[in-house]
Amino acid sequence: MTAVEILQIWIIAFFTLALFSFMYKDNPVYKVAEHIFAGLTAGYQVGLIWDTIILQQVWDPMIGGKYYLIIPGILGCLMFTRFSSRFSWVSRVSLAFVMGVTSGIFLISQLHGLVLPQMRDTMIPLVDGGGFGASLLAVIVVVGVLSTLIYFYFSKEHTGALGVTAKVGIWFIMIAFGAHFGYTVMGRVSLLIGRMQFLVEDWVGSFAHIF
Amino acid sequence: MSFWDKVEGIDRRWIYLMVGLMVLIPFIFPAKFPISITPEAQSLFDAVEAVPDGSTVMVVFDYYPSTIAECEPMAVAAFHHFFRKNCKIITLSNIPLGGPSMAEMVSRSMAEQYGKEYGIDFVNLGYKYGYVAVLSGMGVSIESIFPADNSGTPLSELPLMDSIVNYEQVAFIWEIADNATADYWASIVNAQYGVPMVCGATAVMAPKFYAFVAAGQFLGLLGGMKGAAEYELLLGETAAATVGMGAQSLVHLLIIGLVILGNLGFFLGRRYREKKR
Repeated sequence: MTAVEILQIWIIAFFTLALFSFMYKDNPVYKVAEHIFAGLTAGYQVGLIWDTIILQQVWDPMIGGKYYLIIPGILGCLMFTRFSSRFSWVSRVSLAFVMGVTSGIFLISQLHGLVLPQMRDTMIPLVDGGGFGASLLAVIVVVGVLSTLIYFYFSKEHTGALGVTAKVGIWFIMIAFGAHFGYTVMGRVSLLIGRMQFLVEDWVGSFAHIF
Repeated sequence: MSFWDKVEGIDRRWIYLMVGLMVLIPFIFPAKFPISITPEAQSLFDAVEAVPDGSTVMVVFDYYPSTIAECEPMAVAAFHHFFRKNCKIITLSNIPLGGPSMAEMVSRSMAEQYGKEYGIDFVNLGYKYGYVAVLSGMGVSIESIFPADNSGTPLSELPLMDSIVNYEQVAFIWEIADNATADYWASIVNAQYGVPMVCGATAVMAPKFYAFVAAGQFLGLLGGMKGAAEYELLLGETAAATVGMGAQSLVHLLIIGLVILGNLGFFLGRRYREKKR
C-alpha cells in the first residue's frame, strides 16, 4: 500500500466518521464535512458539464466543421436571459424547444416502453396451464390493478360498490408501501454495512502499514 | 412512568448504537445465515448463461458512490460471469458523479484477474450528459455519442469498437442502477431496439422493477445486497455481498424486534395510562 493510498483511505475515513458524528448530535466537524461535500459536488458538476457538453458536444465538433451546432449553442445561451427581467421572455424560445422535444420523446418512450407492456402484462389469461397458484396470482394482479385504479378515481363519491373496491385498493397500496419500506430499510442498512466494511477492512487495515 | 412509557421515549441514539454494533459484530465474529435464491436472480443468471460465448455485452454503471455497497458486488459478479464466457464488455455510465471512475476501477481490477486487455476485451466509454439523448442516439451510432472513451482515446483506435456500430452488435445489456435510469433503458433500449436486458438495482428501487420482470422487459433482477449475494452464490464466488449479508440479517432481526417492542410500547402504554385515569 503506497503513502498516497493510505492518505486517501484516511481522508475517506475522516469524512465518513465526521458525517456519522451527526447521529450523536449536530457539531462543527459534521458541518465542515457537509460543506466540503456540497462545494466539491458543485465544482465537479460545473467541470463535468464544461468538459462533456460545452467542449465535447458543442465546441469541438463545431471547430471540426459541424457549424450547424451553433444553433443549439445559441439556444442554450438564450436561457441565460432569464437573469434579466427585461429580456427574460427570450428564454421562452429555448424552453419551447426543450418542451417540444422532451414531450415528443417521452410520449413515445413512456407509451411504447412502459404503459403498453405493463398493460399487456395485466391482460393475462386467468387459466394458462400454470396450475392453481398461477391462476390465483393472475386474479390478484387483476383485482389489485383495478381496485387501485378505482381508488384514484375521484369523479364520483367513494360509496357503495365503488367505496368497497376503493378500500380493497387501499389495502393493495398499503401492502405495496410495506414492501417498499422493507426494501428501503434493507437498502439503508446495506449502505451502513458498506461504510463499516470500509472502516474495518481498509481503514483499520491501513494501521498495520503505518504503525 | 411505566416500563412501556420508557420504551416509547427511548433516546434514538441507543437505537443507532445497537444498529452499529449489529453491523460491526459480524465483521469481527463472522455470522453466516442461509441465502435463498429468488426466481428473479435465477432468471438473471440463466439469461447471462444463455448469452453466446464471445459476444459483446454492455455493463452500465448507473449508480452513485453512495450505493457502492449494494451495486459494486453486482458489477463485480457481472464481470466474473461475462469474462468466464469470454464476452467483450463495453461499460458506460449515465451518472456524472463517480459512474465512469467506478466502471474504470471495477473493469481494470477484474481484467487483471482474468488476463484481459483494454481496447480488445473491454472498453470504458465513460459518461455523457443527457441519458435520453444518449440512449436513443446509441441506437443509431455509438460513436456519434461517444467519439472517444473515458480517457479520451478515439473509438476508431480501439479494436473492440471496430465492429460495434449500434445496439445491433450488442448481444446483452446488464444495467446496474440506483435511480430511474433503469426505466429509460427498458423503455427506450429494450422496447425500441429489442436488446435483451437484465437489471441489478438497489433495494430501494427493486420493488418497482419486479413489474418489469413480470412483463418480460427485464429478463432478471437483483435487488440490493441480497440480490448481489444470491448471484455470488450462483457463481460460486463468496465476496463482499455474501459477507455483508451476515450483518444485514442481524440488523433485520434487531429492527423486527424494535418494531414489535415499539408497537407493544404504544398499545400497552396507552392501556396503562387509561387504567391510571
